[in-house]
Formats: sequence, structure tokens, C-alpha cells
Amino acid sequence: MKNDLPGRGLILNYVAALAAIFSLNFALPRLMPGDPLHAIYGDEALVSMTAEMEAHLIKQFALDRTWTDQLAAYLMGLLHGDLGFSYYYKDQVSAVIMGALPWTLLLTLLALAIATVIGVIMGIEAASRRGRLLDRGLTASLMFLSGFPMFFMGILLLLIFGVSLGWAPLFGAITPYSGLEGLDYLKDLCSHLALPVAALVLVLVGDTFLITRSTAISILAESFIMTARAIGCSEFKVKYAHSGRNSLLPVVTETGMRIPHLLIQTLFIEIVFSYPGVGSLLNTALNSRDYPLLQGILLLLTVLVLTVNLFVDLLYSKLDPRVRYAH
Amino acid sequence: MHIDPFRAVASDRLALAGLFILATIVLMAVLAPVLTFFSPDCYTGHIFSRPSLMNPLGTDSLGQDIWSRLLYGARTTLIVAAGVAVISITLSVLVGASAALIGGIYESIWMRIVDAMYSVPPIIVMILVAAYIRPNLLITILMISLLSWPEGARIIRSQVLSLKEREHIYASQTFGAGCMHIFKSHIAPELSPLIMAMTVQDARRAVFMEAGMGFLGVSDPMTISWGKIIHQALDFTYLDVWKWWLLPTGLALSLTLVALCFIGFSLEAAMDPRLVPGPLERSQEQC
Repeated sequence: MKNDLPGRGLILNYVAALAAIFSLNFALPRLMPGDPLHAIYGDEALVSMTAEMEAHLIKQFALDRTWTDQLAAYLMGLLHGDLGFSYYYKDQVSAVIMGALPWTLLLTLLALAIATVIGVIMGIEAASRRGRLLDRGLTASLMFLSGFPMFFMGILLLLIFGVSLGWAPLFGAITPYSGLEGLDYLKDLCSHLALPVAALVLVLVGDTFLITRSTAISILAESFIMTARAIGCSEFKVKYAHSGRNSLLPVVTETGMRIPHLLIQTLFIEIVFSYPGVGSLLNTALNSRDYPLLQGILLLLTVLVLTVNLFVDLLYSKLDPRVRYAH
Repeated sequence: MHIDPFRAVASDRLALAGLFILATIVLMAVLAPVLTFFSPDCYTGHIFSRPSLMNPLGTDSLGQDIWSRLLYGARTTLIVAAGVAVISITLSVLVGASAALIGGIYESIWMRIVDAMYSVPPIIVMILVAAYIRPNLLITILMISLLSWPEGARIIRSQVLSLKEREHIYASQTFGAGCMHIFKSHIAPELSPLIMAMTVQDARRAVFMEAGMGFLGVSDPMTISWGKIIHQALDFTYLDVWKWWLLPTGLALSLTLVALCFIGFSLEAAMDPRLVPGPLERSQEQC
């Protein structure tokens, strides 16, 4: 019974957070000066709005009734999975977002995997050479890189490798109308992926590196490492099997906690490279003031982030019993 | 935990480099009117002109002097950073320390709020609200502060919770010391290195958020901000202008963030005794 409590407390937090976003989504357009329908649907909709549609929408949102009725109408819509209609894309918001989401997930997961592997290896190597040139060089340069705002890292790579050298394509995820198939398609996909992923990895890798390094440093000072060396383990085995494996727990949890941050950064990177994911969608929604799309995207992001956070929190308290008692 | 944050920063080369960069940017922002020939909003008569003596970084698509906009943009960045750091840390300390010291229902209510706010990334809320109201400088500062204090409050609370179990606190309680007195003379001094590290952290996040809002084009059109200059310049990467428009602005923003990052790292490292080299290792490093 007692073990269930932290889980329930956590879920309560997430419900509260979700409710906060819902109420912002509901209240913001209705608090704006002027016609609430205009604020809900944005500029794009006004162009194609007919009197008939207006009447229909006012009825749908219950805009002519009290705010409690409006809230009920809003929640009913959400329960039906109805995020509204994007007048810019002339399609259901949920369909538009679902079309873009795979690209964002591809970028995020690829960058996360690469950055984690590189960060862990470099962290372990640096820890075993603590204070020497390689360690100090790596620490300083990765700290420098991780301080960079990701979108500027993207711009920098775009300017160097895309604009100046012309090695990589400047925008998009695939060459449009090229009709490539099979291996050529894959090559095209990868050449478009290279720069955005590189930008994400360059900024991300620093955090993983620093955590692995500091954990590995404290583990290398433990007596079982001395034992391993005394019984003649190779240095490689000591570094990776003994200290490396033991420093993974903080790395895993820390990585999990940084996924939301990464997701947001990916959106910025997508805008720089015009990558057809949720980020570019967000940019379009902001520029064309397509509010239903904007709200849908931010709602989806919140749900994604909360799900990941909840998962990591639960996993964390399973892996580390001390966290369970702290609640 | 007796740490002298000033000594930690002064003995760390990276942190000193960070301080130097930050000082340069502050100086440039303060001296902006002296260092420029044009006001940042004035039309110079040429668009996309190359760097020259009058326009050290040329002019942008609206014919405004880029150098001047860069310097005045630094003011926005620094004001936001300082404003958010002060407001956010004040809220963090007030809520975190009072929750830890008073306890009971008061503590659980605040911590519920903190936990709930902590689970949503502030930038999502920021984008949502900014898309509707295009906040000006003051509202931006207030919004970022309101969104970023919970993390600090959590850290301060746990620190105060462990500090208040110390012997000398019990001793002063037996002499009849109240909450305020214990906080002022026994807890606040111990918190100061932590508060400094968190202030830098808050400032860094604020700079990033403000630039991010500008980059997404949802800040007040009247403020001059580095993020917005980058947003504007990104449309013209096919011209040569990015070399003196996009690049210097992005570098200025990145250097500011990196500088804050270095200072923050050094303050954090000073508080984590595991990462500070022992006397033996330190002497080895100096060799």
C-alpha cells in the first residue's frame, strides 16, 4: 500500500499540470479583446469565413452562452479528440500534426541515441585520464558547446556546410519531386538528416559527458576497481565493464529527464532547417496566426512531455529505492 | 558547507573567461550610444550595405544599422537576464525556505504547486501566452520569472530541510529563537553559494527564453532583441549579408550564454566536493 503512494502523488501532479495547460488554452483566446471567435480561429479563418459557418462555430463553441457552457463545450470537443480545424492547411489539426510528428520523433530519437553513446564513451575515457590534457580539453570544449543555444548551432552548421561549402541540402527532409527509391531514397534522407542531427548532438553530448565523467570519477576511486586491477583485469575491462556499467544509472535517468528539453530544442532546429516536423508546423502556425493549430501542437507537446516525465519518475523510483522513501 | 563562491570563480580559468565575456557585453550595452553613429531604429538610407566605417556591420533589410541594433539588443538581453534572475530567485527563496521552515499544510500546498509547475516546460507556456499577447519587455520578465521559480524553490527547500536539522539550529531553538531569526542568522548565510549558482542559472535560462521568443517571432515588435534579429536575418541566408548580420548576432547571443554557463558550472562544481580535486591531485595538476 505504501509503495503505491508516490506513484499516485506523481500522477496527481501531472493531472494538475495538464489541467493548467487546458485552462490556458481555454481562457487565453476568450480573454483577448475583440471577437472571441476571431481569437480562437485567427486571421487565416476570417478570409474564408461565411455567415453560415460563423453561426455554426458560435454554436459549436457555445460562444453565445455562459462561460461554464463554453467550458463544457470545449472539454466535450477535446474528449472526442477534436482539436479544431486548421484554416491554413485546410484540414483537421490532429491530422496535420500526426503527419509531422514522425519526422520530429526521428530527429529527436536519432540525436538522443548518438549523443548518449558518444557522451558515455568520451566521459569514461576522460574520467580515466582525469586532469590530463585530453580530459581538460574535452571538458572545456564540450562545456563551451553545451552552452550554445541549439538553434544557433543549427544556423552555424547550415551556414558552413550548407551555404558556404554546399555539402548538404539547405532545407527539407527529402528532395521534393525527385522520385528516388530504395537506396537512393535512404541516401537522400540521410543527407538531409545529417546537419540537424549533428547540431542537436553537438549541444546535447556535453551534458551526458559531464554526468558520465563525474560519476565515473567517483566510481574509479572505489575499492572494487582496485581489486579488479589487482586481479589483472585489462584497463579496457576496468573502464567499460566495471566503472562504465556502474555509471550508467545516473546517465539513464538524466537522459530521460532531458527528453522534454530535447524535444523543444528539436522544434527550433527544425525551423532553422525547414525540416517538415512539428517545429516547422509551429512556425507556420505562429506566422499565420493559425491558433487552433498552435494550441493543438502545444497541447500535444505538453502531453508528450508529461508522459515522458511520468515514465522517468516512475522508473527512477523503481531503480533507486532512496527516491521512493523521499516522497 | 563553507564555500567561498568568489574564490571558486576566481580560481577557475573558464569562469574567469566567462566573467570577462560578460563584462565586455555589459560594457558594450552601457556604452551603446557612444559606440554607434545611428540610433537602432533609424533608416540609414541604404539597405543591405556592406560593412563600412559608418556602419561597422552594414545595414539590414530595413536599412537599419546592424552594429547599433546589436548593441541595443544586448541591453534587452541583459535587462531580461538581470530582472528574471532577481525576481525568480527571490520567489524561490521565499517559497522554498518558508515551506521548509513552517512545514505542515502550508508546505504541502506550496510543494504541490511547485511540482505541478515543474512538470510543464516553461517554454511551452511561454510560447502559448506570447502567441496571443506579444509581451513587451516588462511582461516578458515577469512571465519568465513566474515560470522559472519553482525549480529553485525545490532546491532551496531541500537544502533548508537538511540545514535545519543541524545541531546549532536546535541549540538556538532552545534559546527561544523564532523562524525569522533562525533563517536570517543561521540558514541564509549557508544558502548564499547555492543562491548565487541558481541566480546564474536563472539568468541563463532567461536569456535563452527571451532569444527563443524573438526567434519564433512572438515578442513585442518594438523591442530590439538578438533572437528577433536572428529570426529576421535567417530569411536572407542566400545573400552574403549573413556574414555581418546573422553571424555576429548569433555569436553575441551564444557567447553570453556560454559565459553564464561557465560561471554557473564553476559555482556548481565548487558546491560538489566530489568534483573538487583533493589537495594531492591539485598539486599534481599544477605541475
